[in-house]
Amino acid sequence: MVDASVICWGPFLLIAALFAIFGIIWTIAYPLLFLYGAVFSGRRLNKSMSNIALRERTSIEHFGKDPLSNLKGAHIVGGVRNSGLVYSSIVHAPSHWQLLIASINGLFGGRIDILHRVISVGRAEATQRLREQAQAAGWDDVLNVRIDTAEMTPPSNQGTKAVEVFAYGTGVKYG
Amino acid sequence: MVVNTETIAGKVITKNLGVVGGSTVRAKHLGRDIFAGLKNVVGGELTAYTELLEESRNEAIARMVADASARGANAIVNVRFATSAVTSGASELFAYGTAVTVE
Repeated sequence: MVDASVICWGPFLLIAALFAIFGIIWTIAYPLLFLYGAVFSGRRLNKSMSNIALRERTSIEHFGKDPLSNLKGAHIVGGVRNSGLVYSSIVHAPSHWQLLIASINGLFGGRIDILHRVISVGRAEATQRLREQAQAAGWDDVLNVRIDTAEMTPPSNQGTKAVEVFAYGTGVKYG
Repeated sequence: MVVNTETIAGKVITKNLGVVGGSTVRAKHLGRDIFAGLKNVVGGELTAYTELLEESRNEAIARMVADASARGANAIVNVRFATSAVTSGASELFAYGTAVTVE
């Protein structure tokens, strides 16, 4: 038998204390955050949607047209002076309130508009950031744009429920 | 020069040096994870993870470029990205493309 006084309890107690503190914070903060999400997440979605539309308009003004396209560059007449990769990303998450509504919605089947809106805001933000990156790098056009979506967490895992949207393309500078 | 089109407009590809790639797995420290978990309840952008992706993407691209320049290439064409979720809070990013020399 190992005498209990031989074991160094310090680190164990520290870890236990950290867990306890985190647990207390979580129990207090979770309902408050949940309620905050329930009240404000829809409104925040609308706000960021109109914000994105505004920024989209300014960058379309800057380029004279929408710079993003899926074309591979065979349509370009005249030379291209320079080209390079542009990419942007966002991790966008629905609030737990929206997830709850979506799971209730899922019982009846059909369209789940609330999640569709969350993901489309994430996608719009990622593509808008791509335009801004292209503008910052001084490209005239962005070719071969791909938009990828992936999950942050493995499907079987309990954890962050978020979607990452990742947009990339080739910026070109006409000569 | 790194592009994701099959050819570089205005340039001629002279030599194909094969597929090059670079990958990385990164995570944020516990404090950022906890904060992101709380932010997840409210919804919206999780800035910590956006940053995480940005960092790992830059690292993957840098490794791919290093691989290509070790082969003597001066451009990479047809770049693609792949992500996989290993565990929650960590991201695995893989960038790959074809190393070529162009004129």
